[in-house]
Amino acid sequence: MPMYNMFFRRALPAIALLCSLGACNFNDFEDVELVDHEADYAFPLFQTSINLKDLMDQVLNDTLSGDSILVNPDGTMTLIYSGDLVSKPATDLFNFFEDAPILVQDTVFEADFNAPNSLRVDVINFIDGTLQTVVTNNLNDTVDFTVTIPQLNKNGVPYQVKYRLNKKETYISPLENMGGYELRAQNNKLRVEYEAYLPNGTRVRLPDIIPGSLPAVIIPTKGLIFSYMEGYWGYETYPLTEDTIEIDINQTDLEGNVTVVDPKVTFTVANSWGFPTRLLVEKLVFVDKNGVEIPLQSTVLDNGALDLDYPSLVDGEVGQTKYTDVFFDKNNSNIDDIFNAQPVRLIYDIDGIANVDQDPSITGFITDSSLVTLLVGVELLLEGSALNFGADQKVDLDFGDFETLDTAKIAGVEFKLVTENETPISADLQVFFLDDNEQVLDSLFVGGVQTMLRAAPVDNNGVAIGTERTETFIPMDTPRFNRIRTATKAQLLTYFTTAQGGQVPVKLLATQDAAVKMGIRVKARF
Amino acid sequence: MRLYLPVFLFVLACSSVSAQQELMFYQMSDYWHANALNPAFFPQDRNVQIGLPGFSLDAWNSGDITFDDFLVRQDNGFKLDFSALIDELEPENDFVFDQRLETVSLGLRLPGNFYVSAAHAVRTHGVVVYPKGLPEILWEGNGALIGQTVDIAPSTLGFGWQEFRLGLAKTFDRVTVGARVNFLSGVVALETDRGRQRATVYTDPDVYQLTLDADYGFWSSALVESIDTADLGFAFNLVDNVGQTKLFENAGASFDLGAEVRLLERLTISASILDIGGKLNWEKDTYYFRTNGNYTYEGGIIDGKDLLNGSDSIDFETDLDTLNDVFAFSRAVQDFSSTLPTRFYAGVNYQLAEDWAVNATFFHQNSTLIDQTAVGVGLRWTPLQWLSVGAMYGYNSRSAANVGFHLGFKPGPVQLYFASDNLLTAFQPYASPQVNLRMGLSLAFGKRDAGGDAGVPFEER
Repeated sequence: MPMYNMFFRRALPAIALLCSLGACNFNDFEDVELVDHEADYAFPLFQTSINLKDLMDQVLNDTLSGDSILVNPDGTMTLIYSGDLVSKPATDLFNFFEDAPILVQDTVFEADFNAPNSLRVDVINFIDGTLQTVVTNNLNDTVDFTVTIPQLNKNGVPYQVKYRLNKKETYISPLENMGGYELRAQNNKLRVEYEAYLPNGTRVRLPDIIPGSLPAVIIPTKGLIFSYMEGYWGYETYPLTEDTIEIDINQTDLEGNVTVVDPKVTFTVANSWGFPTRLLVEKLVFVDKNGVEIPLQSTVLDNGALDLDYPSLVDGEVGQTKYTDVFFDKNNSNIDDIFNAQPVRLIYDIDGIANVDQDPSITGFITDSSLVTLLVGVELLLEGSALNFGADQKVDLDFGDFETLDTAKIAGVEFKLVTENETPISADLQVFFLDDNEQVLDSLFVGGVQTMLRAAPVDNNGVAIGTERTETFIPMDTPRFNRIRTATKAQLLTYFTTAQGGQVPVKLLATQDAAVKMGIRVKARF
Repeated sequence: MRLYLPVFLFVLACSSVSAQQELMFYQMSDYWHANALNPAFFPQDRNVQIGLPGFSLDAWNSGDITFDDFLVRQDNGFKLDFSALIDELEPENDFVFDQRLETVSLGLRLPGNFYVSAAHAVRTHGVVVYPKGLPEILWEGNGALIGQTVDIAPSTLGFGWQEFRLGLAKTFDRVTVGARVNFLSGVVALETDRGRQRATVYTDPDVYQLTLDADYGFWSSALVESIDTADLGFAFNLVDNVGQTKLFENAGASFDLGAEVRLLERLTISASILDIGGKLNWEKDTYYFRTNGNYTYEGGIIDGKDLLNGSDSIDFETDLDTLNDVFAFSRAVQDFSSTLPTRFYAGVNYQLAEDWAVNATFFHQNSTLIDQTAVGVGLRWTPLQWLSVGAMYGYNSRSAANVGFHLGFKPGPVQLYFASDNLLTAFQPYASPQVNLRMGLSLAFGKRDAGGDAGVPFEER
């Protein structure tokens, strides 16, 4: 047999055995684990979009009920702050009828109205109240008695009471409701006539019940209410309203330079009094944050006075209302300068003067529904500029479950903050994390405030065009996160500046949004 | 000898092989287990063949991925580290697994040159095609994939079955033809729906919003009972007694045909087609799972008005529950079928001398997901009647440098063989992108004088 046959006969089994030595030991694969490694995960955290109109609604909703936002046709917004609507009914000032008896001293007697000296009453129409006649006959004979008030007519029939009194009798007539009666006065006097005849036809004057003080004929009145009064109103001053308007947009913790392009104060007066009335502005001042009062000065007011439009009797405007609007703006007042001082409230005190010119030829009127209604408002068109208009505020922090998170499995995180801004306002931000003693533990950004929201560019009209996107990466390693999550407070420094460094006025539109989104990358350990 | 020894040493020195193991074993037609590759193969020197267990395994990764790429030795054991593996991955990667366990078989030569055979085997076929994005995201996260739409949908075709074979062959002078019917009994199956294989993840560069898009379906038999997404993951609940199906609960059949022709005294050609029409009909615990949804997770959406009112709260639970609901798998009871890959073999063997032969083999496999083709040329040396040594150089669609080796023993009635397409995997299994080996044992009785040259030394023919 050849030598190689001998060799392989004996060697090959050994070779085969050697080959098997490299075979897998499957026991090695029991309980196979993963080697330590890191993985990088990216996912979104949140996103939100803030609309400018909603933002302004929130600013206004915090405190006041008398404010609102008006969206103008071009999308701009006007903040309107209003005082309380004040109404002064004419009846408050000119209801001079008292529940008092008319003491008829003689058979023909003229009683005085208790009207203001400046008022000459010509006609009064009553809608309610009562009038009656009380007569006492102290004679020892029967008396036929008739009392007449010729000026007091109902459907052309004057008020009259007839009665035959027996001797020593007192007669009280039924109550006469004055609704529908018209009184035509002369010189503010009411004429009363009575006739008393004895059975033999002799006309007598009934003797006084108490001589010199209590006559036999008494005409009590009660609850007289007029529906219409006509006459002459002479010069008379009367109070209209005194109020305060809070301007809460300036009542924030924000400080800095803000200019508003065209602030306005408006007076809106609705007048249904039928005689000339002049508003007298006793006080119209703004108050700044330090409590300093700044008077509103205007060419519209003539020594603080303003004549109102009124319905005219001559023109047949009874029952109508006339309106008078007055605007105080930068063209006719110092309001522009006032608002740059960021006032926090407006205080006003306004009186009325009737027939200031004392023109006797003017016959006026009032009705039971005549009103002078006054509404004072502040209008702020949201157009202006701001430079580092900022706030420094502290807020409580609660990291919740993150306080106990096992950070050993986290190698680091990086937040990505993205803002997409349609508004012409930029925002710089810095956050300091504080402990219970308000000591700074760390800050969100290294190196000071960072711009997290850049203003959208504006055109020549101050209107934002386009959207400005800002990306901010905020890395945070585990030791830093462990430090921050022990904070119990945060100090937020926020600064707002309008486009182009706050040097040009911009318009805030109701449709403008600012979107804020955040994602996170986490390096996890396995 | 001087020529052959260097060749042999060259074979030993070669590495990085990925030849079809069956390619080499196809040329060992004198070993009974080779009958599994061609129903016309029947060892001519014995009348009775009893096949004892034989095992073959062929598993490979696409590209140059080796087990070393993800198995690292640490702390007296192994740990998985996919960092290096991911760098080696192609955009689309394959993992193929074929395993056969021949449990027992019997072959009888009958009068009239008929041969009958019967056999039982347990087979597994598996193919996974997976995108690089899947292990990348699982191991490294999505942080490095921002702005990319990452495909994470794997395709898989995997099933195990038992095979009961009955074969009949006959020799007509120099031609032997054989046919076989295989009764199949499926055990487990997992197969993705090729019409619904979409699952992508996109991480938006904006603030990392996640867009998940999926239309993905798969069938399972005797494996997956349900998929629980309650905890935002996909927890697979398996059926009770996985794989324990009764015989022929999932039935199927296939056919094999083969022929061997001795053209000349020294020249033999052969061919076979295996698993013709092979189909397994799955009916036991069969479900179709599907998820279909497109969802973008943008984080907590805070209404700006609520934020201004100070009344906001981010309900992550609600948002993440929505994500869970969108991608929950629906389940439907649905039978399905799997097609066995059809295999083709063709071979030529030329006896150079008494104990030297050269051969060439062609192989092709039609699989649902991956087709494979290989060609090999080999050299076989039988220095002793009971000893066989072989080497083969193979070329396939994955590699042009495949070297195989076999070692066979036939002392007396015993047939013992071992073969590997990559000899070095035996010594360094972790350093190779594939595992390939075949080994088996059988007994042959009834020594036969078949006339001709069967059993007669060559030099005496």
